[in-house]
Amino acid sequence: MNKRLLIANRSEIAIRIIRSAHKLGLTAVVLQSDKEPDALYLQYADEIIQAKDATNDKPIFLDAERIVQIALDHQIDLIHPGYGFLSENPDFAALCEKSGINFVGPSPDLIRNMGIKTIAKKMAIEAGLPLVPGSDGAVADVQKALDSAKKIGYPVLLKASAGGGGRGMRIVEKPETMERNFKSAFDEATAAFGNGDLFVEKYLENPKHIEFQILGDKFGNVIQLGERECSLQRKHQKLLEEAPSASISPKTRKKMGKMAVKFAKSIGYFSAGTIEYILDEDGTFYFMEMNTRIQVEHPVTEMVTGVDLVDWQIKIALGQKLTLTQAKVKTTGWAIECRVNTEDPQNRFSPQTGFIEKIRFPQNTNIRIETGVQNGSVVTPYFDSMIAKIIVQGSTRQEAIDNTLEALEDFSLIGLKTTVPFCRTVLQDPEFVSARYTTRWVTQFFNPNMLENEDDELIGALAATIIYAAEYLQIASDAPASRNESLNVWVLNKRINK
Amino acid sequence: MGTSYIYKRDASRLFIAMRENGKRFKIYLPKESMPVIDNMEQDINFIEQSDFQYLFEWKGKRYNCELVSRDQNKTTVKVNGVEYKFSLESLFSYVRHGMIDKDGKQTDENNIKSPMPGKIVDIFLAEGDLVNVGEPILSLEAMKMQNEITAPCNGVIGKIHVSTGQSVMKDDLLVEVTSIDV
Repeated sequence: MNKRLLIANRSEIAIRIIRSAHKLGLTAVVLQSDKEPDALYLQYADEIIQAKDATNDKPIFLDAERIVQIALDHQIDLIHPGYGFLSENPDFAALCEKSGINFVGPSPDLIRNMGIKTIAKKMAIEAGLPLVPGSDGAVADVQKALDSAKKIGYPVLLKASAGGGGRGMRIVEKPETMERNFKSAFDEATAAFGNGDLFVEKYLENPKHIEFQILGDKFGNVIQLGERECSLQRKHQKLLEEAPSASISPKTRKKMGKMAVKFAKSIGYFSAGTIEYILDEDGTFYFMEMNTRIQVEHPVTEMVTGVDLVDWQIKIALGQKLTLTQAKVKTTGWAIECRVNTEDPQNRFSPQTGFIEKIRFPQNTNIRIETGVQNGSVVTPYFDSMIAKIIVQGSTRQEAIDNTLEALEDFSLIGLKTTVPFCRTVLQDPEFVSARYTTRWVTQFFNPNMLENEDDELIGALAATIIYAAEYLQIASDAPASRNESLNVWVLNKRINK
Repeated sequence: MGTSYIYKRDASRLFIAMRENGKRFKIYLPKESMPVIDNMEQDINFIEQSDFQYLFEWKGKRYNCELVSRDQNKTTVKVNGVEYKFSLESLFSYVRHGMIDKDGKQTDENNIKSPMPGKIVDIFLAEGDLVNVGEPILSLEAMKMQNEITAPCNGVIGKIHVSTGQSVMKDDLLVEVTSIDV
């Protein structure tokens, strides 16, 4: 009998996993949330399990116990968590293990250790990875902070130990402003987290985000599949990614890749994983963290390496050996991923919810589309705003940029606004084209006026005029019907001439 | 691409779309040919139209337009995913609102005066007609020669102060033209 794989996720990643499940001869089972009972991914599954979550606060995808219970009730062999939700929750992985269900991912201990930043960093140091210079743990007072900052060199970052989301975080440019910043960061951290512990870290003014994809099996084999650059972010949310990165030399690439493998091996890592580095302007790089899940941006790596990461993730979970060796991993060409989020880039990326009246994706051999929606889909406020990904390849970086721009021109969505115009703007920005862009691009360079262009504006003026004129001419005329018709002759002519 | 265009006569088909930043488009919607935008006929194909949605093709590219909102003469349209807001005026309300006066465009030079004494032999246009710069408005006979008096700007014919057969003196006011050049 076929093994049964339960996907504890939704949208495009659920469909992506179903594809791999079918390729490997597994029965793909999905959960139907009543928050989106008509979601597209349901159509691709072999079996749908209704998970009534209307009476629960938690959507089913966050409810570890119910998922495992459902899995047991439905004779599930494996659970793939996708990304987000429970994908990096060690307790969920442990519960699966305890219940005799194969969790597609690393061990609960690995997830736990990599999830706690201090432990992950300690393990990275042990493996010889460079970390951003900083105080060893929390600094007790302003004087200690000053001492530490002097050693590191200004500017420095004051960071709350318990922190997250930028709270309790201050950039200190010079010693004179340390006291003031220390006090406000301390107060903020105390108020937000009940813990005012602060540590000092070197502040990178123009950092880039470079991450390495790795694959490891349960027999200690680990390989790396090259890097992705994900510097284009807004509030730590990635918006556009590329592979490889134009920002690192072959020598640095080799070094970063080797270190990633060394680190993964040293902690006995298996499954797909990502080692994140932060790259300084001078080419120095530091270990940031490790992600123990499949990532949203995995398709760019798949495109340039030709390796199916989700297939391997499942095969590794099933106990298969990683027969793909480092020597066999070859990178060709360039790939760019644009995230299609229903957010309004003209209005501080405010989320858009509602109906997708019509959606049209570009099609070509060098384009890969991962979508969780179709015509008539509803975007609800319950889940995140990413509805699709457009991944485009080219033989060189410039070709990939050109191809992506062309692809985005063929994208249209009627009903909601998306981040696609934002991606178009990025792809034409000199900072991006020259690969100088950093994680600060959005705050430094982006202005909503950049989303506009003259041709679109002119067509907009025409469309607005046609709408207005139809009414105006109707009112102005004694014989409304005939007048209105006459306006449309141009329209009719165009149709006939087409 | 567009070609330089001669306005047709019907001023009720000329509109002005203006953005918040003051940028203006003069759009003429002829009955049976391409739209004329800022004096240029544009080869814009109308591919699809449904409720509040338009698909155009221009310069080899597609433009998806969607009506986002309408409030009186304010219209917001989304073109290829980006919103643009316009306020719309018919030519007449545009002129009436004195928007042209504010720019100082509507000055004496657009009031056509007779360059010499003579006799009006023909008037080609009527009040309210659209006129293109350089286009003859009337014919004036002086010293056995017929002279065509042409429009100094793109505009709409205002009051015509003379009639066919009338004799005029030098500097007599002949025709008022309201400029629509932005």
